Amino acid sequence: MNVGEVDLLVGVSSRDAADTITHALGAIEQSFQQYFVRQRVVIVVVGSGDKDKRDGILEAASSAPSTRNPRQPGITSLRTIHRVTADFSSPPPPGVALRTVLAAADLLRARACAVLPPAANLSPSAVANLLKPAYHENFDFVAPLYKRHKFQGLLARNLLYPMSRAVFGCSIRELYSDEWGFSGRLASLCLNQDVWQEEAIRARPEAWMAISAIASDLRCCQTYLGEKSQPPTVAGSDIVEVLRQTVGNLFWCLEGNQSLWLDSQRSQEVPTFGPAHELTSETTELDPHRMFEMFRSGVTELEPILTVVLDPDTLVEIKNIVALPEGQFRFRPDLWVRTVYDFASSYHHAVINRAHLVQAFAPFYRGMTNSFLIEHSDSSPAEMEAASEMLCAEFELQKPYLRERWKANVEVKS
Amino acid sequence: MRETILQALEQVYSNLVHMVAEFLPRFLVMLIIIAIGLLVAFIFKQMLRALLGLTKIDRVSEEAGASRFLRMAHLPAMSELLSRSIFWVTWLCFVLVGLSVLGVAGLQEQISRLFRFLPEIFVAIVILFLGAVIANFLSRTALLAAVNAGVRSARILSWSIRFVIWILAITMALEELGVARQTVVAAFSIVFGAAMLGLAIAFGLGGQDLARRSLERHLGDTKTENDKEPQPL
Repeated sequence: MNVGEVDLLVGVSSRDAADTITHALGAIEQSFQQYFVRQRVVIVVVGSGDKDKRDGILEAASSAPSTRNPRQPGITSLRTIHRVTADFSSPPPPGVALRTVLAAADLLRARACAVLPPAANLSPSAVANLLKPAYHENFDFVAPLYKRHKFQGLLARNLLYPMSRAVFGCSIRELYSDEWGFSGRLASLCLNQDVWQEEAIRARPEAWMAISAIASDLRCCQTYLGEKSQPPTVAGSDIVEVLRQTVGNLFWCLEGNQSLWLDSQRSQEVPTFGPAHELTSETTELDPHRMFEMFRSGVTELEPILTVVLDPDTLVEIKNIVALPEGQFRFRPDLWVRTVYDFASSYHHAVINRAHLVQAFAPFYRGMTNSFLIEHSDSSPAEMEAASEMLCAEFELQKPYLRERWKANVEVKS
Repeated sequence: MRETILQALEQVYSNLVHMVAEFLPRFLVMLIIIAIGLLVAFIFKQMLRALLGLTKIDRVSEEAGASRFLRMAHLPAMSELLSRSIFWVTWLCFVLVGLSVLGVAGLQEQISRLFRFLPEIFVAIVILFLGAVIANFLSRTALLAAVNAGVRSARILSWSIRFVIWILAITMALEELGVARQTVVAAFSIVFGAAMLGLAIAFGLGGQDLARRSLERHLGDTKTENDKEPQPL
């Protein structure tokens, strides 16, 4: 099949999603039929396994009733919707899947692209919202924004967003997400970088892509996609893996882009399409007590490691708050920021194995989460947003501390 | 009588002169060999230092946890330690070769025995070093995994792993050196077996609940409420 040049390209990974990929493909096609009638489009499905089976899924998706617009039955795309499959012998990691999509975008000279998960609740409007800013407004990176529970996404709220905003000067709230949009220009730029063998990129390439856009003075924006589909809680053992993929990845990005932030101060306004944030507050089954206990035992048991990682003053203060009764415990924003910056600089200096260092951060994340849950149990969205802004300001205020620790010739203590 | 004494003294003097005349060139050769050895060892040291600087071995050593042990033992950084070691080993070899030139009776035999023993000492040191690195890495891995899984007394588990690996490394090093081979192997088997039996009994008697919870968590369909935390992303 000869595809030729296209205007829009959407990449979907079919990994572990045989039951939901049909719906996702239907939603993408419906989005093309509804919002991009005249554009030349292609869907790239990246996955592994039985090719015949996936071809069957693609055929079924293109003829399924869900692909027809129920509200506007007469509307169909004026162009052929091409579908391309990229097969791997085993499920490709996200970085490899992205590289395949970027290569296709570069080859087909796509103007706007999006990477999407094969989610069961993917809506045509969400697909369009990711593609429109890149296609119509010439933005190069389009990050998603979600409506979600006020206690969801606390790692993003308390660390990933404020730290990336302070360091890179770009206020993208959802730096780590399964779906985002980008321009063909950014696709070509990223494809030509020699980073694809790095473990950090293979596991989570999206933040690196956003930072590449910032570093090249390309335009970034955020767009509202609606509700994020995931359970409000997660098993405790998964937290460490999430930290490895996000916090470890952010530290890696800091190291790889030192010229961007270490000796320069830059700030880029990030326009937002749709509501900036929407929070819900249904009752959830959370256990702050368990998190506090894990924070306390973690700090106690990991003291030999923390002595190497943390600044002595930070460690003393951490020990002080660990000694407090649970009812009086609060993780102060300034101490939290210093702890995060100590871990970041220790990651840079590789004072211990880097995977171990990120694992050692888990108790602190739990401590901060406990403090946040207690403090904001009755907070309104506006109050939470105000607290988030204060934390961002603290990260910004202490940026010189990070620079100082980063540049220091660290004499590691035994 | 006087004649005989003079003759004997003359003989002794003649022998002494002969011995000195014979010894002095050998001694000079020894000094030259040692001096050349010093130069060669210095060149080796500088070359190795530059090579290790390029390979960033200090960072690798830091990440593996070996540097921490070196600091605890008041030893220099890994690259410095290796380059100094190569200097001393090279120079020691030249010194021994130089000493053998002197031709002192018995000394040559001792030197050749020492030469035969050197590789075994070197292998034993390498075993101990690798043991230290592996023990440190694995004990820290266990410590972090246990802490993040909420296991109580995680540090005891970590120390146990470190202890077992150290015992294993020391046993292997002693066996390599041939020190009381039979005794060392028997002692290791007894200590290791006793430790494992002790742990098994301790876990079986004291950790029934922990084992049950652990099995429920890994094999059960539902997760306990205690495991639930807010979605981080």
